Amino acid sequence: MLKLRIIPILSFNGFALVKTKGFQNPRMVGNPTQSARVYNSRGVDELIFCDIFASKQNRQPPISMLREILKECFMPVGVGGGIQTLEQISELLNVGADKVIIKSSAIRNPQLINDAVKVFGAQCICIAVDVEKIDGKYVLFDIDNSRLPIERFFTQMNDMGAGEYMVTSVLRDGTMSGFDCELALLAHSLTSQPIIMSGGAGIPQHFVELFNQAPVAAAAAASIFHFTQFTPLDIKNALHQSNFPVRMHNTKAA
Amino acid sequence: MHVILDYGLGNTASVLKAVQAAGFKGTISRDPVVLSNSSSIILPGVGSFRDAMERLHSLNLVNLLNELVLEQKKLFLGICLGMQLLGEVGFEDGETNGLGWIKGSVKRIPDQGQRIPHMGWNDIKVLKADSLGPIVDPNFYFMHSFFFDAEPSTITSQVHHGSDITATVQSGNIFGAQFHPEKSQSSGRTYLTHVLGQSC
Repeated sequence: MLKLRIIPILSFNGFALVKTKGFQNPRMVGNPTQSARVYNSRGVDELIFCDIFASKQNRQPPISMLREILKECFMPVGVGGGIQTLEQISELLNVGADKVIIKSSAIRNPQLINDAVKVFGAQCICIAVDVEKIDGKYVLFDIDNSRLPIERFFTQMNDMGAGEYMVTSVLRDGTMSGFDCELALLAHSLTSQPIIMSGGAGIPQHFVELFNQAPVAAAAAASIFHFTQFTPLDIKNALHQSNFPVRMHNTKAA
Repeated sequence: MHVILDYGLGNTASVLKAVQAAGFKGTISRDPVVLSNSSSIILPGVGSFRDAMERLHSLNLVNLLNELVLEQKKLFLGICLGMQLLGEVGFEDGETNGLGWIKGSVKRIPDQGQRIPHMGWNDIKVLKADSLGPIVDPNFYFMHSFFFDAEPSTITSQVHHGSDITATVQSGNIFGAQFHPEKSQSSGRTYLTHVLGQSC
C-alpha cells in the first residue's frame, strides 16, 4: 500500500536556510548541507529544497550548492526556485534532484510545463500552488499579483500534464496553527494527480487532522522541524497510531 | 567496475552515489571499451520510453548492449525507465520497440481511481525471494506513470497501486527494478548489494 509521505522543507534565501511567516520576515534557521545530512540520517521520506526568493531576485538555481546538498541525500529530493528553462531542469536532475517544483514560470509560461513533462515525464514536474484567501475565494499568491482563482490554475496545469502539486496556504505559513484542510480538500478535488499539502503544521496532531479531512498524498512542513522538538518520526508515529499507512522503518542512517 | 550508462537521460549522479555507498566501484560512461570491461552495466532512466530508445539508437549502443548482455551474459540492471526498456514495446508517447530482452510491453498504469503517477514509498510483494535477496524493509520509492507488463515467469516482485504491477524482474543475468534503489535508503542499498554482488 502506498504510504503517506511526510516531507521536510528546506527554504533557502540565497545564503542560508530561512523560515517565513505568511511568506514574510524570513528568519535564519541554519545551514542547508548540515540540515540535509540530519534529515538523511533520520531516514525522511522525501525532502524539498526551495530557493524562495529566486524568482523575485531573478537568480538562477544555486547548482553548485545543490550538488553539495544532494550528496547527503539518499532519498528523493524536489528542488524549486527560479526555474525557467528545460536546460535548468536538466541540470538540476543531473546533480541529483529527482523532481523540480515550479511556480512563477508555470503561471507566466504554462507551455514550459507541457514541454518539461514531454522530456522528463510527469513524475518529475511538481507545480507549487501558493494560495491566499481573498473575499472568501482561494486565489494564487504570486509575484505578478495575478490573483488567479486556483480552479483555473489547476485546470490549466492539469491540461499541461503536471505530475504533482504542492499546495501551500500563505495565511497559515509559519503560524504552526494547523493545515488549511478546506483548501487541501478543494485542491484534491481539482486534480487527479497527487497533492502535497503544506502551511501551518505545528504538532503531529495537525497531520492526523489533515489526513482525516482530505485524502492528500503527502504533507510538507518546516517550522515544526525548526522550532519544536518534533521529528518526522514523531509525526509518523502519530499517524500510525491513527491507522494511516506510513513507512515506519528505515530511521537509521541510509 | 560497475558502469552506469550515460545516454543523456537518467539520474546518473544519484545512481553512482548509491553504488559507491553500497561499497562498489562505479563510474558513469558510454565508452564501448569501458562498457566491455565492466563487471556490470546499470541503465537508469528518467523520461519517456520513446526518447530513451531513440537516444540508445543514436548513440549506437543497442548492438553493443545486445552483444555484452545477451551474448557475453554481463550482469545488467535497469532502473525505472531503464527496466521498462527491457520490454519488447512501449506505449508511452506513441509505440516504440524496446530492447526486447524480456517479453512484455510497457503500458500506462490501469486507472482504478487511484492517483497517477504512482509516487512515494510502497511495499513490494516478493514472488521470488532468491532473486531479491534479503529484504530489511519492503518499502521502496516509486515514481512512475507506466509499468512493465512483463512475462509472468520473469516477475520477481509486485507492488499494489490500484492493481498489482511489476516491481522487479529477472531473467538470468538481466535484472530490472521499477522502484529507485538509489532513492530507497537502506532498502535500496540492500537490493543493490545483492544484485551487483552477483557480478564476476
